[in-house]
Amino acid sequence: MSDTAVKDPGAILKTNLWTSNPIFVQVLGICSALAVTNLLTNTMIMTLGVVFTTAMSSLTVSLMKSFIPRKVRMVVQTLIIAFYVIIVDIVLRAYLPEVSRNLGPYVGLIITNCIIMGRAEAFAQSNRPILSFWDGMTSGLGYMGVLLVIAFVRELLGFGSLFGVRIFPEGFTPWTIMVMPPSAFFLIGLIVWIGKTIMHRQGEPVT
Amino acid sequence: MNKQSLGYTIVFSFVVCFAFVFLLSITHQATREQVQLNQELRTKRAVLRALTIEFNDDEEVLERFAEIETVTRNGIELFRLTKDGETRYAGIFGGAGLWGPINITLAVDADVETIIGLDIIDHNETPGLGGRIDEPWFQRQFRGLRLVDGGVQLIRDGNTEGEDGKADAITGATGTSMSMDRILNQTLRDLRSALGGEA
Repeated sequence: MSDTAVKDPGAILKTNLWTSNPIFVQVLGICSALAVTNLLTNTMIMTLGVVFTTAMSSLTVSLMKSFIPRKVRMVVQTLIIAFYVIIVDIVLRAYLPEVSRNLGPYVGLIITNCIIMGRAEAFAQSNRPILSFWDGMTSGLGYMGVLLVIAFVRELLGFGSLFGVRIFPEGFTPWTIMVMPPSAFFLIGLIVWIGKTIMHRQGEPVT
Repeated sequence: MNKQSLGYTIVFSFVVCFAFVFLLSITHQATREQVQLNQELRTKRAVLRALTIEFNDDEEVLERFAEIETVTRNGIELFRLTKDGETRYAGIFGGAGLWGPINITLAVDADVETIIGLDIIDHNETPGLGGRIDEPWFQRQFRGLRLVDGGVQLIRDGNTEGEDGKADAITGATGTSMSMDRILNQTLRDLRSALGGEA
């Protein structure tokens, strides 16, 4: 991936949020983008968990990189990622039991989110700790931004509410399809389309 | 020291695993009581809701729950509440839903002739369709519902308000409605045999 050469924090931010956005450019982490985006509150908590995990695991991998033997490099990265995900899971279980119940197995499945492993391997493995933390965090934020947009549309049309607060009047007929995972496919498709069109207009090289 | 050697790799892997797992165990231990408390609260809240007892916060849940006796009948654990000379029983039951198990709390009067209330503890039904068994309108229908031939029926069309032994099913969720029908009637049979009435 070409973005490993990027060293400037501002450029990293732009790359991770826009030109190399994990969801609509790299199309990573789609499983959770389909599963947890029908209510904004759940999406918010879930994506905050991802931001935390990506940032902290990138930081830890970067701090430990010179001690990690090459052969067990990926095993150790997975261990670090799993460690932070389990921390998130434990904290949710203890202090936000309702959200934890709604998210079900998806918190645990953050471990398998390719964005996190991708950043650890592509960036943190060869960059300084603080910069890796920033890269992990902005990648997480890129993921969060897109998921929140999807959740916004899905909750509004599927339940007539935002963050659980009713927006449309009682008589509103909810779009049942928006509550089910397939609608996220359509929305992600639309976002990819819109995103690429804008990039094309701005003359960015479309990947 | 050669970082790629077998010895270093083994020692390194062991130390790293140990350190991370150790930290996780500490976090787990530190929050264990809180997690257990959450689970207990969830069950207690469900029992109170089924018995139609109002509460505002967690403290009140514990207070109200203290007034309830736990009894075992026929191997089934039941919660008994005697208020104003009337005895009511609630129990935790479950059955297969459309996608996964549905666990409920159901409260009845001592003769199992009237349902006092219903609460859904957990389910995996489709959000917005079968998942609507979670909503107050669905559960409220069962409050004070008199049974007909010892059972209830979930009806597809029309308005069942005020009719004995009948409740509205959920539109667009036939599978879940049928499961609920089955679970409720099985639960009522279980409660009847536990409380010693006619089976």
